[in-house]
Amino acid sequence: MNQQNRNSSDLTDQSDLPITRQHIAQGQTAINRESMLKYQLKLREPEYTQTQEFTVFIGTWNVNGQPPSVSLRSWLSADEDPPDVYAVGFQEIDLSKEAFLFNDTPREAEWNKQVLDGVHPKAKYRCVALIRLVGMQLAVMVNIQHYPHVSNISYDTVGTGLLGKMGNKGGVAIRLQLHNTTLCFVNCHLAAHVEEFERRNQDYKDINARMNFKRSPLAIKDHEQVYWLGDLNYRITDLTTTQVKTLLARNEMTTLLKADQLNQQKERGNVLLDYTEADIKFPPTYKYDLNSDTFDTSEKARPPAWTDRILWRGKGIHLVGYRSHMELKISDHKPVSAIFKSEISVVDQSKFRKIHEDLLKKMDKHENEYLPHVTIDQMEIIYDLVKFREPQTREITIANTGMVPAEFEFIKKLEETSYCKEWLRIIPYCGNINPGDKCDVKLIVNLESDLDKIYDILVLHLKGGKDMFITVSGECLKSSFTLPMSLLSRINMPILRLSKEQLVQAEKGNVLYSVPREIWLLIDHLYRHGLKTRELFESSALHEELIKIRDWLDNGSLDPIPGSVQATAESLLLFLSYTKDPVIPYNLHESCIAAASNFQNCRQIIVNKVPDLHRNVFLYICMFLQEFLKYSNDNGYDAKTLASLFGDILLRDVDRNAKPQANRGKANFVYNFLVNDLSSSIVPPK
Amino acid sequence: MARDYDHLFKLLIIGDSGVGKSSLLLRFSDNTFTGSYITTIGVDFKIKTVNINGQKVKLQIWDTAGQERFRTITSTYYRGTHGVIVVYDVTNGESFANVKRWLHEIEQNCDLVNKVLVGNKNDTPERKVVLTEDAQRFADTMNIQLFETSAKDNINVEEMFMAITRLVLRSKLDMQERQNDRTQNDTVNLRKTNKQGRKKCC
Repeated sequence: MNQQNRNSSDLTDQSDLPITRQHIAQGQTAINRESMLKYQLKLREPEYTQTQEFTVFIGTWNVNGQPPSVSLRSWLSADEDPPDVYAVGFQEIDLSKEAFLFNDTPREAEWNKQVLDGVHPKAKYRCVALIRLVGMQLAVMVNIQHYPHVSNISYDTVGTGLLGKMGNKGGVAIRLQLHNTTLCFVNCHLAAHVEEFERRNQDYKDINARMNFKRSPLAIKDHEQVYWLGDLNYRITDLTTTQVKTLLARNEMTTLLKADQLNQQKERGNVLLDYTEADIKFPPTYKYDLNSDTFDTSEKARPPAWTDRILWRGKGIHLVGYRSHMELKISDHKPVSAIFKSEISVVDQSKFRKIHEDLLKKMDKHENEYLPHVTIDQMEIIYDLVKFREPQTREITIANTGMVPAEFEFIKKLEETSYCKEWLRIIPYCGNINPGDKCDVKLIVNLESDLDKIYDILVLHLKGGKDMFITVSGECLKSSFTLPMSLLSRINMPILRLSKEQLVQAEKGNVLYSVPREIWLLIDHLYRHGLKTRELFESSALHEELIKIRDWLDNGSLDPIPGSVQATAESLLLFLSYTKDPVIPYNLHESCIAAASNFQNCRQIIVNKVPDLHRNVFLYICMFLQEFLKYSNDNGYDAKTLASLFGDILLRDVDRNAKPQANRGKANFVYNFLVNDLSSSIVPPK
Repeated sequence: MARDYDHLFKLLIIGDSGVGKSSLLLRFSDNTFTGSYITTIGVDFKIKTVNINGQKVKLQIWDTAGQERFRTITSTYYRGTHGVIVVYDVTNGESFANVKRWLHEIEQNCDLVNKVLVGNKNDTPERKVVLTEDAQRFADTMNIQLFETSAKDNINVEEMFMAITRLVLRSKLDMQERQNDRTQNDTVNLRKTNKQGRKKCC
């Protein structure tokens, strides 16, 4: 136990991969390599990546439904150097009913063309994605040289307007991976009106909750860098239009920004909690008289407000500029832009490949280690001389020397019907061994047929692992019990007294006996000593007695037959059950059964169809049984009982292991020969 | 479950007993070598993932018992094999002479399969009996690539496994290409036969 514990902790300590042995030992052998690889690559990201600064331009403009009649260059190309990434968002590109109801507007293409015309002339850009919901539109573009490193692009829209779902308010977002960093851009247009700040907070929450990128499990907040832009619609509260204008004129920005609802709500944790915004140094971007820099002079005279904002969240984002663009006057809002130096994680391909291969190697190693593994104490089993019906048991020990449970099973080889030969039994032939445990398997050989030797290769299969070959072999001793009667009738001495050559010669020799010597010896003994024995054929003799009688028959002896007379009776039944061919040949069984009701028909079969030797044995046995029946009063047997007992043996089934089942037809057939005169059945020798 | 590989191939190592099949596999999969000889009694496999032109190829490499008495059983493991590595021992002429039998074994049990011939234990020149020229000549006539390796000194082992993997991968890609071509051709042919058939029938 201690040993095992120590090993397991050793293993966990050495392990570079966070797979606990317990985990595996509980049967979860299949390692999910794909997710493991992802996890490991993420852990080791610093080793194969370096950060590179990318210039990111974020722009937002509520265009108040105006068509794009002016160049956007002063807004989008305001800086000396071209940005690497653009995210440009509009609100209210179309205020028509069609746009609202059918989400279809020609303005999308018009504004997008204007954007493409307005991007920095010192670089070429390619649009990564363009998404629009009613009046909210967002385009993300990258310098064309970065385009190959953009992947996993996805987008979605969320309407939070009328009925809480229409697209007149809400947000649109694009997510992507640039090199190895995940980016998300959200353009929103939140609820209007000064007093509706709580509604705006709710819109923000809804956008976050409902934005659902296809093919990406990440929510907005899960991205490494998030840029949030749009007409957030938060106003300046508790100050009249005149007060605001006065404070602006005095440049008392701090006072004004304290009255800004977004700053207030953010501080209270109600909106954009983890987001950062740069200091606002530009005048409110709303609301202007069209084509002017003059704040709303209409009757409503709305107080100016910083409705248009850009915030960010995530590591490595450094703000360079945050400004409004007064020169674009076609809307009642002014555009806003922010420019960032953002740290993007760039993969060093050669380092990545090396680490990737390294990880694959480690996972291969683990997978190999977690293959089931057992050792077997002996792969080659040689039995002592194998004798008829004298079982020998050998035990092998299968030890689980692996790290996972081993499910083993002896499997059959191709083109074989069973996992072992009929002379072998394997107990158990399958099982489950836990790591560190062992299983003893008994291999029991029991010879019941005429073989010179036994030989087989057993295949021990581990589920999900290797196969092992166990060779079993042994020399066999001949026994009269398994030889054909035709051979036995040609031998006039115990068969083990004959050499192999003599045995071969005997096969071709003359028939010496009309019934095999062994049958004669057994029946003669029963005739002398067993006629009056009760339950002669029913008692199960000791195994050793049967072996002694077998040896007495096969080796020969001057001593009388050993053991009880019941053992001799059982030996006779065994003998008749195992001889290579049954007394009545298999091919005659059906006609015997069909003829069973008529003695003459039965006699015809015996006289005309059954070969001489077999007929002799059959009649010899029947005559003995007739003699035996004369002592019914002593031995308690009647003809019917004997007929059913001997019917199954004299006409025995091909499959010896089939369940013994008295066959009425066979019994009836034999019965005929127990109660009728047999003298007419005897055919004189030719 | 997502896969962490692009291709999965089964390779089989065969050859006479004692030529170093297990050692080659151990060298390739674990980069280890053990001098002590343990004869393989059964079939065992190891996993190894390699990168071929940016494609991740997962190999399941089966090591088989080389002893004669297991031959009929081991032949049943040829099924589903994509590539076979036939190994002989350059210091053992008989193992080289038996290569023909092993190649025959492959023919009997596999349909179309890629092969390489490997002369292992190529680390002690004074004991070498199978000359490179002879082996090369034989390999050329059989149209098989020859590698002389040493699992002990780690010579040419990786190269050999990569070569058979490349062969197997190329076969697969070629077959896919042919299949694509055929599908396209079939569509065209189908139309043609239809037209012709109609003319003949009516």
